[in-house]
This record gives sequence, C-alpha cells and structure tokens, in this order.
Amino acid sequence: MSQVALISGGGGGIGGAVAHRMAQAAVTVVVADYDLDAAEKVRREIVRGGGKAEARSVDVTQAREVKALVTEVAERSGRIDVLANIAGGSIYTKRIEEFSWAEWRQVIDVNLKGTFLMCREVAPLMQQQKSGRILNTASNYGVTGSALRVPYSAAKAGIIAFTRSLALELAPDGILVNTIAPGPTDTPRVMEKETPEARKQRWWSAIPLGRTGKPEDLAELFYFLTTPESAAITGQTFHCNGGLI
Amino acid sequence: MRLQGKVAVVTGGAQGIGRAITFGMAREGAKVVVADIQADKAESVAKEARALGAEALALEVNVASEPSVQRLAEETFKRFGAVDILVNDAGVYLRSPVVSKSEEDWDRTFNINLGGNFLCARAFVPAMRKQKSGRIISIASSIAHTGAKEFADYAASKAAIIGFVKALARELGPDGITVNAICPGSANTDMPRRHRSEEEVMARLRATPLGHVLEPEDIAGSVLFLASDAASYITGQAYNINCGTVMI
Repeated sequence: MSQVALISGGGGGIGGAVAHRMAQAAVTVVVADYDLDAAEKVRREIVRGGGKAEARSVDVTQAREVKALVTEVAERSGRIDVLANIAGGSIYTKRIEEFSWAEWRQVIDVNLKGTFLMCREVAPLMQQQKSGRILNTASNYGVTGSALRVPYSAAKAGIIAFTRSLALELAPDGILVNTIAPGPTDTPRVMEKETPEARKQRWWSAIPLGRTGKPEDLAELFYFLTTPESAAITGQTFHCNGGLI
Repeated sequence: MRLQGKVAVVTGGAQGIGRAITFGMAREGAKVVVADIQADKAESVAKEARALGAEALALEVNVASEPSVQRLAEETFKRFGAVDILVNDAGVYLRSPVVSKSEEDWDRTFNINLGGNFLCARAFVPAMRKQKSGRIISIASSIAHTGAKEFADYAASKAAIIGFVKALARELGPDGITVNAICPGSANTDMPRRHRSEEEVMARLRATPLGHVLEPEDIAGSVLFLASDAASYITGQAYNINCGTVMI
C-alpha cells in the first residue's frame, strides 16, 4: 500500500515543492491549504506527472476544520505516514507597538497553534500504526530573532521547543518529530513583495553559498527526513539556509 | 545511485562509523579512498567496497601528520584525478580525569580530532575550489554539546570541530563547497566498548527515547544525504543523529 503524506500549506511555494517531492517517491499526497485553488493546482500538476494526490481546504487555526480533515483522510486512506506542517508565515513586518492583540494572535495561531492542532489530530493515528514522521517548519528567525517580526520569531522558536517535547512524547511509539528551519527562500509569496534585484542586494552577500534558497532545496530535506536513512533522528532542528546561520 | 563517479576520501574509514560511510559511498557509486592509521583494516574495508562494485583505494594515513596527509592527497589525485567528498571521521577517544590528563594525551586528542580536520581540508580544498564544487563532512559528537565526564579533551575537540566547520563553510561557500558536521550520539561501535563492559554498553545504547540502538549505518545515511546533490543548499550546520538523546 502506498504511503500517505498530509501536507498543510501544500498549495504554497515550499509546501508545493514538498508535495511534488513526496509524490515523486510514490507517496500519495494530501495537499491541504487555506487556499483551495492553490492546493487544487498542485494536485493537478502532481496527477499530470503521474503521481497520486488529493486537494483539501483547511484553516489550520480552526480545531474543528483540522479534526474534520484528519478524520476524513484517515477514513479514506486508513493511514497517515507523514505529516508536514508547512502552513504559516510572518504576515506582518512592523514594530511591536504597532501590533494589535488580534494580529499577534493571528501570527501565533497560524504558525504555532496550527502545528499543535494538526499534530494533536494525527498523532493518535500514528500511535496506532506505531510509525510516522512529523515535520514542523520553523525559520532561521526562530533562532536568531528578527526585528519587525516579533510574533513570527516567537512562534517559530516555539515550534522548535514544541517539536522536541513532542519527539520525546511520541518516541516510544516509533514516531519521529523534527523541525526544518528554512532560511530566505524564493517562494511566489515572497517574490511578489520583492524584486529579484532587491532580493539579491539584501541577501546574497550574507549567504555563504551566494544565493537565496529554492523551494526544491527544502523539499529534498523534508523528503530525506521521511526515509529509512533518517530513522535515528528525532527532536532535531535542520537549518537549510545556504550558511546564513 | 546518488554519488555516481564522485571521488570520496574517508578518514578513519577502516572501522565503525567510517567503515559504514565507506560502504555507503561505495553503494552510491562513488570511488572511495579508505584512509586510516590501521593499514590492514583499511585494506580489508577497501576489498569489501570493491566487492560492492566500487573502485577503492586503501591508504595508511596519520591525519595528524602533515607529510602523511600530503601523501594521502597525492595518492588520491594520482589514482582518481579529483576529489569531490572529504569525510573527516578519524578520531581518538581517551578516558582520564582532567586533573590527571597528561599534556601528551591532550595534544594527541587535539592533533588527531581537530588538527586532522584542518590538515585534510587544507590538502583537498584547492582542488575543490578549482572545480567549484565539493563536500566536506566532519564527524563531531553529541558530546560536543553535552560534555562527558573524564572526556574533557574529546568534548572540547569535538566542539571545536563544529566551530571549524562553521567558519570553513563561510570561507568556502562562494566556491560552491559545502561544509557540515554530523554529531552522532553513542553508536554501536568498538569505541564505547573500550571503556565499558559489553552489558553496560548495550544498556546505554538502548536507553534512548526511541529505544533504537544507534548503528553506524544511521550516521552513514545522513552523511550520504549531505554528500549528495539533494543537500547542495545546506552548509555550516551540525546535524544531530542520536535517537533523541540530545536536542539542541
């Protein structure tokens, strides 16, 4: 039976690349995204390439939606081998005094609470299976901090500690939980806001490998952490940033 | 095969983790130089690698000796004409409390564990620079993060490897060369058996959150990933592989 991967944020730049990488390895992918059209687009591309995929809409900050999604996937597929929590983002860049309470909660919820809700629903199924890989997405900012991204940095640091705790909790059931921390990555969402020239100016001299990341760079790391080769790795943070930090 | 036609040098390649890395490289299609101070063991590992279908060369090398490392580089280029991957795995592990540790032991640990990284990188980097690509992967230890009673020199040398790797990654990034460290937890090799009974070693190896005994092949898996094209954007990192014993 084919393995099943559930990917939140699967319609986005990194999530889409991860979905494609998993599908290439004959994994059935459930592409879940707040933006159903984006998820549907990734699904179509995967299916056109001969892979197996489904598209679902989910707002990861809504417990009921997350539960409904996971219940439905579990019933249809009978299993979830990989959960990749990629939905998230910094949303705002501004000074702390300009953040409203609602905005603060929005950033914390989409990054941290969404990861919690997805893990809470998927973990029991993986515990029954006595196997599973959970991959959470942090950021270099979760380690270094970032001016104008206070809630995002806090949420991403939270994901690193959340991952370690969950790794310890689920280790007896053979479930591995790790964090991937992308550096600056050229996703469509980021490239909309910045010209390639401005981006080059801002980053290239700070990154030893002399370029910003591509979603495919991240996808390879996500995929590696689902393979038997990484069976002894849990609770760890994997930076992929060209040497930025 | 992810490393078809690549040339890999594995120091400390004759036993334990290095041996598993050598076989992993061989299975992925690389040509392998097994560089080890134990010439006989290196030769038998090279023979096994050849049985896996790889070209393999065994060399007796002391990574703490400049002329010996120089010879390693010369023989590698003579036989294979290039170098793509350098794995720094050669290391020693001596047990003694700090107050009674001899200066000779201290120097020996640092010259081999850390100095070997320096001498081997210095010998192979110019060729990697010329081809604008290369992979350097150094084996550190989770003890770099946690420390270990009566292994202060070992802990310090392994922590120093991480600093060395991060600095070298910045130095070589512009030339397309990645430099990373792997920090294994205690693995099922001869090394922990030097200072503990078999029963004690196995009990400690099993006492991990995953309850999985860390095997040399678990370490080799990550080394192969870092050596492959899939990891071309990863540099300056120290990845932990320890069944969940240390999270940092």
